Formats: sequence, structure tokens, C-alpha cells
Amino acid sequence: MAVLGIPILEDLYPSTMDMWPLEAKEFNRNWQFYENLKQGRLTTTKCKGCGLVSYPPRVICPECYSEDLEYVDLPKKGKVIVFSEEVKGVPLGFQSPLIHAVIDLGVDPARRVLSRIVNCAAGTLKRGDEVQLAVFEVPALPIDKGKLGTVMSERVFFAFEPVKK
Amino acid sequence: MARNAVILAGGQCKWGVREAHLVDLFQEAAKACFNDIPTLKPKDVDGLIVASSYAGRCSFQVNTAPVIAERVGVKPTSICTRCDTLCAGGSTGIILATGLVQAGAADIVMVAGGEKLYTPQKWEVFYSELASVDHDWDGVHGMGLPPPFFALTAQEHMMHYGSTKEQLAAVSVANYNYAATNPVAQMQKNLTLEEAMNAPVVVPPLTLYDCCPITDGAAVCIITTDEIARKFTDRPLVYIRGTAQVCLNSVSANFPGAHLADWMHTKMAGEKAYARAKVGPGDIKVAQTHDCFSISEVIEVEELGFCKKGEGGDFCGSKQIEIGGKVPVNTDGGLLACGHPFGATGIRQGIEVMKQLQGRARHQVKDADIALTHNLSGANAEHTILIYGREPVK
Ligand SMILES: [Zn+2]
Repeated sequence: MAVLGIPILEDLYPSTMDMWPLEAKEFNRNWQFYENLKQGRLTTTKCKGCGLVSYPPRVICPECYSEDLEYVDLPKKGKVIVFSEEVKGVPLGFQSPLIHAVIDLGVDPARRVLSRIVNCAAGTLKRGDEVQLAVFEVPALPIDKGKLGTVMSERVFFAFEPVKK
Repeated sequence: MARNAVILAGGQCKWGVREAHLVDLFQEAAKACFNDIPTLKPKDVDGLIVASSYAGRCSFQVNTAPVIAERVGVKPTSICTRCDTLCAGGSTGIILATGLVQAGAADIVMVAGGEKLYTPQKWEVFYSELASVDHDWDGVHGMGLPPPFFALTAQEHMMHYGSTKEQLAAVSVANYNYAATNPVAQMQKNLTLEEAMNAPVVVPPLTLYDCCPITDGAAVCIITTDEIARKFTDRPLVYIRGTAQVCLNSVSANFPGAHLADWMHTKMAGEKAYARAKVGPGDIKVAQTHDCFSISEVIEVEELGFCKKGEGGDFCGSKQIEIGGKVPVNTDGGLLACGHPFGATGIRQGIEVMKQLQGRARHQVKDADIALTHNLSGANAEHTILIYGREPVK
């Protein structure tokens, strides 16, 4: 695909323009978070040394600096505390309505998580509504493997969606 | 014995949608700065701190400091570096310059901030804003552009403290009217409450005039010691009395307040800066606070102690932020009307309070002797405060 004004970038992937995380193991020590997402699990890391649960996940505990961490599940359902709805002027990469909510997942440190709300028509969400985890595919990450060529590494990301009543 | 740091002079170029390159804007601002102090020459400057966060993304230029040094004709021998704290970059530069001149590691430091945000394709700067917050955890949710975050903030302020849309509009009206005669502001027009109340919706409850625009621009100031300053000027000296910069989180889920309208990190930064400056909120005669959105100014006047927590809406709605009010705020027009080229904003604020304390501001606050500037940056992740005064801390 041609890149307007920069023909040398045709068919090349600029990670500096990628809105999604570099989730692959080659580029991210928290790759397990995304692997868990693929299984429909929202997880984060807990320190086996001091017990601290951090969100987002870490590779080193910010409290005791232990490297001995494990993934634990966060609740997949939460309640909308407050939300905003953008209908016009939604930025590139997102569809209208672009809805953001502060969600209470009911456990620390996830009592006020900011997330996008998807699969929700404009004007239908209310404060206090129950929402659930929604995992979706995003474009695969093209990794240059030298002689092996470019390998496409599958990616997912998450948002929340209204629980059907 | 530490030396006393002062802000000696400053200037900015015309801010707005500029047909110019990033380095052009810095040159224009440097000229405006030297015009403000004709006795000082570029060869007198021994340090340069550049504040620019988007140079890397929008101008394909990192390591910006040497590039700017060459273009503005300074040859630093004590420090030549760039700082990147987005919206607080200019204030960060002034804090760093203050420490260097107080310690004797530099004598005359130019702090230069600027951004070129309008690129040939309009989508690019909006898309690049995904980098302004924690990319993988907030940007990815479409939180790069700040209106949704501050819309949530405004809603929670209304829920918890009963502030109204009309009180938000009063902030926009005050700041636009301050800027109406400011020749370097992006928005130079008077605004009525009716216009502000009937403006197009951005993200409810925020409408057009509640949000600062995207801005190209640069600003430059000079930080030195009082003894050196005396060789160059007979104007009253403006001392940097105390500073603070507080960062408790980056990802929005770890926001430190009880809700998005509880800015305990702003309060913490204020208390620290007041203590260092040996003054209190009641001593502040004029302030430039970070009005990226009208709601921000409402919360800032509370957390900085100009009124009680929760009463910011009343404070702003009852003209306490205007000339003759309790604490005139954003007297040159603030971010809402001057515009907001991130790294330049803190310097613009420093220049305005310098002029206020020297008695030469466009909207002069009578007998101003102590002033405050404030920035927030990221997804409300960091707060930066400087307190300036006509006297050094004793
Ligand atoms: Zn630990």
C-alpha cells in the first residue's frame, strides 16, 4: 500500500505510528497479559514477595522490587461510575460514538479503571450500568525475522460493553 | 550560600496556526526576548534549556537543544539540554534553570519552549496525541485527545460539588476577554456568556470555548541571579521564590484523588511550593493556572487554596478571577485564549507574572508583589508550580 508523499515506506510498518501496543514476546515482557486476553481473561500482576497487586502489570514490583510476580485475574464485570460520549470529531482510529467510562471492578487496584465502552449506541448508557469485558482483534504486528521474512504476530485488545438486559 | 534566581526578561512569537517551521518559531521568540532586554546579547547567555515535547513526532527532530542553540545564536558553555514534560515543559525548564543558577553551575540561562503542531495533514497531530498519555494503557483507549478525560472530570465536579455549566463558561469569558487585546494570543476576541453557553458541543458538558485550541508557538525567557541581573536592568527584580513538581501516577486507573475532581496532587504541589516560598495562598496577588479546559481552572483555584474545596465554580462565576477580584487568574488570556504550544506555556506564564510584578502588564493587578504559575500535564498526571515575588526568600 502506498504511503502518500513517502513512497519509500510502501509496504513497510512504522511502529512509531502504531496506536496498539507492541504485544509480542520479542518486544514486551508483559506479553502474557495479552495472551491471557486472548483467552478472555483480564489479568494483572501480583507480587509473590509483598502481595501487592499492580495495575497495569509490571515486570518488577514497584513496592519491594521483587521480580517474582504472578498473573492474577481481575473481575470481568464492573459498574459505570461516570462516562463521556463523543459523537462528532472522533479521532482517527476510533468510531462514533467514542464512549469513555470510569468503571468500578470492585477490587483494588481496579476501582476506577478508565476504559472505552464498545457495542453501545449513543445515548443509551447510564451511570450505574453493568458492563463486561469485551476482547477484540486488532491488526497483527509485522515482525522482521531476517531470513525468515516478516512474521505476523496476532494481537487483541480490550474494552468494556453493556451487559445485555 | 545559594544565590538568588530571577527571571530577567522574556518574549513570545505570535501564537496560532503558523506558516512556519519549529525552528522559525524559536528564532522569533528569542528575538522577542532580546527585544525585552536590549542590554543583553546572545553571547552573554551561557546555558540553554529547550522545552519541546512534539519536536520528535511533528518535526522529526530529537536532541532539539543544539538545533535551537545554533538557530538562536547562543553558544552554551554550562548547560545545553531539552526537557520533555509536555504541558509543563516550560515551567520545568525554569525550575531547572533556577537550580543551576542558584547552585552556581550556570549564570545566564535561556529557557526556550515551543511546538509546531499543525502538520501538512490535519489528522497527524490528533493521532500523535495518543503519545501524550500512557500509550499502551490510556492512549489505546482513545484517551490521547484530552476532551473526554476533562469531560469526565467536569461531570464529577458537578456531581460532587454542584458546579454549573454557566460557571465553566464564566472562566472562558474571563480568559477570552483578557486576551482580546493581547497581540500574540491565538484568540483575540471578546466573548459573551451567551456565546459561550450556546457554543457547539465537544464532549458534554464541554463545548467549544471550554477547550484550549491546538497551537503553534514559542516563548523564551532568561533566568539569572539578582546580582547579574542588576548589570542589565533597572526594572524591579522578579525572584523565583519556590517551586514544586508532583507526580504520583501515569495511568489514569491510578489517579490519586478520590474522584477525577479531587486533585490532591495539585494541593500537594501547592503546599510544597508555598512552604519553600514562605508564603500562603492569601499572599498570591495574581496567578496563571493551567486552564487547558475551563473546568481545570475551577478546580485549580480550589486546590491552590484561593477558595474552599468545592467552591471553585462560585469563585470563578462571581468574577473573583477578574481584575478587582480576589485573585485575578490568567490575566494574559491563559491557555484557553492565548493557545497552548505545550513546551512554551510555562514560559508564557512566567513572562506574564514577571510583567505583573514589574507593574507593566496589559491587565495590571494593583500592587502585585507575589504571583503563582501552575501547569498540569499528561492525563492529569503531574502538577508543576512556581511562586515568584518582588523579594527573595529570607
Ligand atoms: Zn512486592
